[in-house]
Amino acid sequence: MIESLFVLSPTGKVIIEKHWHELIPRRVVDFFNDQVSKAMAEGEDVTREDVLPIIASPKYQLINVYRDGLTYLSPVTKEVDPMMVFEFLHRIPDIMQEYFGQVSETVIKENFVTVYQLLEEMMDDGFPLTTEPNSLKEIVPAPNILNKVITTMGATTSVSTRKMPNGMSNLPWRKAGVKYNSNEIFFDIVEEIDAIVDSTGKAVSCEAHGTIQTNSRLSGMPDLTLSFVNPRLVDDCSFHQSVRFNKWESDKVLSFVPPDGHFRLMSYRVNLPSQQNLPIQVKPSINIGANGAKFDITVSLRNTDGKAVENVVLTLPLHKSTSTLTAQCNVGQYMFDPVGKVLRWDVGKIVPRERAPVLSGSFGFGSASSEAAANAGYNIGVEFLINSHSLSGLKVDVLKLFNESYKPYKGVRTMTKAGRYQVRA
Amino acid sequence: MYNVDAYIKSLTSNAVKLSKKVQDGIVENTRDLRFENQAHFLDTNEDKMREIRKNLDSKYEKEKLDGLKRLIAMISKGRDVSEFFPDVVKNVASNSLEVRKLVYIYILRYAEQEQDLALLSINTFQKDLSDKNQLIRAMALRVMSGIRVPVISPIVMLGIKKCVTDLSPYVRKIAAHAIPKCYQLDPAQKDALMDIISTMLGDNSTFTIGSVLMAFNQVCPDRLDLIHPQYRKLCKMLVDMDEWGQITAIDLLLRYSRTQFLNPIGKSTAQPASRTKKEKSVVKSFYSDDDSDVSHHSSDSESDESEEENNSVDPDLAYLLKCALPLLQSRNSQVVLSVAKLYMHLAPAEDSYKIGRPLVRLLRTHREIQYVVLNNIVAIASQRPYVFDQFYQHFFVRSTDPVFIRNLKLDILTLIATESNITFILRELQEYVKSSNKGFVTQAIEAIGHCASNIPEMAESCLGGLLKLSYSKSGSVAAQSVVAIRRLLQQRPGDSVFMITQLTKALDEITEPLARANIFWLVGQYSSQLQTVAPDVLRKAAKSFATESESSKLQILTLGGKLVALEGTTSKTVSLLFQYVLNMARYDLDYGVRDRARFLRALVYGKQKVALATIDLDSDENDHENGLQESDSTEQDAHNVDEDFAYSEKELNLSDHIKAILLSEKAAPVQENPSHGREQYKVGSMSLVLNRVVAGYEALPDWPKVQPDPSVRRLAATMEAPGYMNDRTGFGSDSAYAKSRQGQDISPAGGKGRYDGQAGAFRGAETLDKFLESSDEETSSDEEDDSEEETSDEEDTSDEDEETSEAESGSGVEDDDDEEEEEEEASSSEEEAILPTKRTNGRRG
Repeated sequence: MIESLFVLSPTGKVIIEKHWHELIPRRVVDFFNDQVSKAMAEGEDVTREDVLPIIASPKYQLINVYRDGLTYLSPVTKEVDPMMVFEFLHRIPDIMQEYFGQVSETVIKENFVTVYQLLEEMMDDGFPLTTEPNSLKEIVPAPNILNKVITTMGATTSVSTRKMPNGMSNLPWRKAGVKYNSNEIFFDIVEEIDAIVDSTGKAVSCEAHGTIQTNSRLSGMPDLTLSFVNPRLVDDCSFHQSVRFNKWESDKVLSFVPPDGHFRLMSYRVNLPSQQNLPIQVKPSINIGANGAKFDITVSLRNTDGKAVENVVLTLPLHKSTSTLTAQCNVGQYMFDPVGKVLRWDVGKIVPRERAPVLSGSFGFGSASSEAAANAGYNIGVEFLINSHSLSGLKVDVLKLFNESYKPYKGVRTMTKAGRYQVRA
Repeated sequence: MYNVDAYIKSLTSNAVKLSKKVQDGIVENTRDLRFENQAHFLDTNEDKMREIRKNLDSKYEKEKLDGLKRLIAMISKGRDVSEFFPDVVKNVASNSLEVRKLVYIYILRYAEQEQDLALLSINTFQKDLSDKNQLIRAMALRVMSGIRVPVISPIVMLGIKKCVTDLSPYVRKIAAHAIPKCYQLDPAQKDALMDIISTMLGDNSTFTIGSVLMAFNQVCPDRLDLIHPQYRKLCKMLVDMDEWGQITAIDLLLRYSRTQFLNPIGKSTAQPASRTKKEKSVVKSFYSDDDSDVSHHSSDSESDESEEENNSVDPDLAYLLKCALPLLQSRNSQVVLSVAKLYMHLAPAEDSYKIGRPLVRLLRTHREIQYVVLNNIVAIASQRPYVFDQFYQHFFVRSTDPVFIRNLKLDILTLIATESNITFILRELQEYVKSSNKGFVTQAIEAIGHCASNIPEMAESCLGGLLKLSYSKSGSVAAQSVVAIRRLLQQRPGDSVFMITQLTKALDEITEPLARANIFWLVGQYSSQLQTVAPDVLRKAAKSFATESESSKLQILTLGGKLVALEGTTSKTVSLLFQYVLNMARYDLDYGVRDRARFLRALVYGKQKVALATIDLDSDENDHENGLQESDSTEQDAHNVDEDFAYSEKELNLSDHIKAILLSEKAAPVQENPSHGREQYKVGSMSLVLNRVVAGYEALPDWPKVQPDPSVRRLAATMEAPGYMNDRTGFGSDSAYAKSRQGQDISPAGGKGRYDGQAGAFRGAETLDKFLESSDEETSSDEEDDSEEETSDEEDTSDEDEETSEAESGSGVEDDDDEEEEEEEASSSEEEAILPTKRTNGRRG
């Protein structure tokens, strides 16, 4: 049972307070803030992310989610499946994102009445009720320009109780009576590469996580079947509620009645067999001396089907005692953050068969703890993006539409990105 | 084309109203003509507060809204605004939906404090319960049951009774949600509520059933007998329920199954061969095959039954497991974890490999969810490591992982290490030692030690790795490695000599006190096998004694004592060295060291020097106390002294027992895994994550010893559902897939209106007569259904016959399904709407 929710600002102030069961006094928030600051004072490299998601207090277990600077705190008194609480708490910013386009302290304050109405509908006496964006939008109207104009003109009286949307769709995830002049559906296949690459360039672990983000603008109740050229590539997957599990099991096709608007149709994982699959190679060499180190980092392309790699960014967190840094690069620009001790190299776009970007230079340790610094390992975080490229090679074959007579416009885009991509030096 | 018309109509009417409004009120409203930003309500000063009451009394809805919004802003800021209750409650019957919703939010917040005033609103809710609109009916019941005023419990009860028979599944869902609330208001109503629940369990709408089960779990979790007739239906509906309903249903079915079936888990200590085959076909050769190792797979703690039980899974239980399996692909991580729970606690052990991959998938989600998943993986892996051993790469730590994630990943790596993946894991662990986080480095080194003791075959390479680390420039790494080596060596005396010799070579370079102390202790303990090296270590130690740390000094003293005890006083050098050390220690600053020196002097040299040493035997006790603060080995020394001492009360010649005292075998330390003990809790529970019992935790019931009567689940015929409950959430769901497709193929043109989501709404507007008529039909056909439960293949056909014969006055003939279908199409849309599940009767099972 999820009894209460407090949404806290980055400074720990209550923005939203909602009780679905009994009232829980606000004191609990003070206790929570104390625990967080205590935990963060434990070590210099402890951040807010390192604070435990479940903090025990004498009376409550403080289940908290930290996301985009905001804390979603739910104190519970009794045994509950914590995963359910986390799942629900994460749904709240998801829904707010859907309604308001972004989630921040200001956005919540600007729309707090809507937020309260949403929270009221999402949960009933501690049990989740309506969490599907499509159903929620029928009950709580999303703010849009037309609504705003009408309310401002004082026309709210026209929305009387008699005018309330009458149809709850039989499908919780799809609105009833959707109507578009031009019917379109778009699929964005985005694959993220998670990899740990060791200093010799060998991948210690490597896999691709794909998601199919869908934007459906189809009228009526379309029933879609999406099939792939090579579905066997998929190692493991999860689906939106609308996808018929059994159909995937038997025929390896996605059969579903889509929700209206944006949704994530499918997430999947593909194991990548060997390191040749990695589109980019980062070769770091860091020679550490007693008082500092010389480094140079080379980036080269491999296996991108001749496509350019864009938005390449390398980040190298340095040891805390690092005091000075000098470097030069032939492509892009670098930046050293002397407070966070992070070197960030914005390489930009790399085109195949051009000369490889190199960043070289040296950094020095402050006097204090140079011995510890000399032994520390370094990890380079890598970001990049390749358009119209699918690392795993998963391809959409055909999309069929049943139950409606129109011919929709269909679009498929693919993109490969770096996910949790890390190179050890 | 109803939609288009309605849309246009509402648009025009809105436009007309809008233009009227604009004309009427443009002058006074111009000041508000800006995009509404609700934030300004949050800036509340006292003047504005005074306005609230005026706003609430206003006849303009806009002003009422302003007042209410300001009130909610106050609640948000933590101010008590209960004083406005009378003003707010007046607006509960407002015509504006928006006003009402805000009023509800306010009432729910303060009703408990203003009970008398809250009663004023009840009348409106009761009236709304008969509203034409299903959402209004639902909202009225929700708010009414949410007002926590005990007096109104009979009224809530009436409301529930009314809504339970509502045509709209949404209203019934809300009614189910109201049941536990009513129970909390007045526990005396339990029996009546239980009756309602037992009727509602017959509900066939996937939309409703999850909430009914939730109410069941809250009000009467022990009445599992009510589930018997519904069990198979619930299994079947599982895949189509909404995600939160699935979670509740799995919980209930798990409890139910634990009381109704014999334990099928089996004592499979060995890895089942079937799994190997299956996995191989799926996994692309990337993972080395690691199936050969079976030795460390612990048996399942829960399995008391004999092996023969393995193959005899009750068909009903097997059905549940089969129905739950697809849910592993849900996007809701709790659903995935619930299925994992089901498989851990119900399925034969050889099936548990199925949950590995989906659980690992959850590692790609939010930090908090990772935390829970990893905790559960620790618990599962400590019983059945083979579920995860091929996924070891997913547990490799990234430098960006938060601390709590890192530690859990390390735990898991040590648990799932096998002979085939240990080389990779070991290489990875050695990589972690480079981290700048000291705590993490310590943990990584300990993890290497754990791996070695878990897999004896790999201990050698682990030791090799640790030895390399003990030369590390970083003091703490070296110290931790030596400690880990010491622990390992105690478990594996065979390797000791070589390793210790290696360690002593490093002694000159190792400066960390803890590491040095451990080496001295090791040398002393195994000195009988280190005849040449040990005295030399003592010599070096004597030389550096003055600069050693206290713990090292204590260990040097012990080392000396042991050497002398071993060689007697025959070796002049050793004896001299020892005496030198003793003399040094005598003037040490630390009383612990001085005490230890006196004690050892008395012990080793016994009578001859007792006088010299000017001590009494109390120092034994003294030492004992100190020993408590020292390493486990010295504590044991002291303990031994005590025991021996008891036998020689009179003749205090301890030196006779000196070998027994100093060189007794020390028990190898037991490696405590911090996550140990989690496996006793239910998978997915808070107690498991926190590794302690949280209030309200209920353990799973024990398996029955004797098979309970399985025929109870066949009695479904007696429990038919009333007609209104039979509208399965058909279209779009898995089970209805075949039906809808078939209908499509037959009449593509007619497909449009048939699946209109508005259908439910039409039904709500039906007259009572129509309803009674249709429900009669459905009930009768249902009876037909239920009696033929066993032969479900024919169920549909017969159902259809029954149905058509009544609806179409007997025109349906078995053979011409297609014709029937068309006739059905031709029938009025009302008919369609009343019988949503019966629409596609043209199907064949």
